[in-house]
Amino acid sequence: MVTDISEKKKGVDTYLKIPLLGGAVIGFAAALIQALLFAAGGPQAYGFCVACHSRDLINYITNSLTGSNLFLAPFSANAVAAGTLPVLTIIGVLVGAAGAALLYKEFRVKKGDAKSYAVYGVGGILFMIFALCMGACPYRLALRIGYGDLVAVFGLIALIVGVFIGIKIAMKRMEGK
Amino acid sequence: MVDGFLIPKETAVLLVPIATIILGLVIGWLGQRSGFCSIGGIRDYMLFRQTRLLKGYVALIISAFVFYFIFSLIVPAAIPKFFWCLQEGQLFTAIGGAPAVGTVGVIILMIIGGIFVGIIGTLLGGCPLRQLVMTSEGNMKSLIFVIGMLAGAVIFTALLSPWIVQAFTAIGL
Repeated sequence: MVTDISEKKKGVDTYLKIPLLGGAVIGFAAALIQALLFAAGGPQAYGFCVACHSRDLINYITNSLTGSNLFLAPFSANAVAAGTLPVLTIIGVLVGAAGAALLYKEFRVKKGDAKSYAVYGVGGILFMIFALCMGACPYRLALRIGYGDLVAVFGLIALIVGVFIGIKIAMKRMEGK
Repeated sequence: MVDGFLIPKETAVLLVPIATIILGLVIGWLGQRSGFCSIGGIRDYMLFRQTRLLKGYVALIISAFVFYFIFSLIVPAAIPKFFWCLQEGQLFTAIGGAPAVGTVGVIILMIIGGIFVGIIGTLLGGCPLRQLVMTSEGNMKSLIFVIGMLAGAVIFTALLSPWIVQAFTAIGL
């Protein structure tokens, strides 16, 4: 009986391990959220975005702590005005991934040195600034392209160029060592 | 139904946190199991001609296109028109809440932002979703990255976006 269940768990897991399926599910879920909840406010193609959704969440927290009036997208701002919370996607992702990691015993604490922490901290700040400049993280970029936003195509081309430059820099550094 | 929307506004705003947290749980689970990463997909293809992760990102674009189209037939008001970027006044709503910058300005911001997002993502090992997932797997460096992202969001909305909009308006882009 026990082996049956674990066999079944494994069978489902092999499908979950395919990134293609994950991409298709994200696209479907984002479109579904858009169709269901668009009355809550825009902007378009706002179903799933790590950059914009974490901006909404942290700006909501900052606003309620300091009484400032930082921007929330209408989607979150209307919800806050109605007395609920803004988008909680980021918390969902953290909890969902932690649940999967714990269930499949892939949770391992990996520490870095002080220098790597500094690099990652500054990298995170710059990453978010440029992502918000672009108006989307790579995921909302994909959603915008799927939605027919031709401007987002420029973003995707720039992203590919950026990855190319990044690979070149990484290779230079490896050669240096 | 109100105004052709599937759910009236009063209900929809109440569902925002619930719906998005469920979405996040599903995506977090899938992301942890599959190692889903957009920048990683492009990187793997360029370095090793490996398409496993890239297929995921392409599938995301295609499935978004297909399902937006299907839902646009069911709920016309929610997904009004394809090629909305060409409709005036709807061009750019994402930049830190600032009023719209002109078309050329948006494209310039997209290109600058995209290049640096690509570089930083490649050098620090992943797109934002990957960093969140690695944080949940216990990677302390990713945790610092995520905290940096949150700080960056506040810095951008509070300080930089008004300045960027002023600069772009001043030079007429």
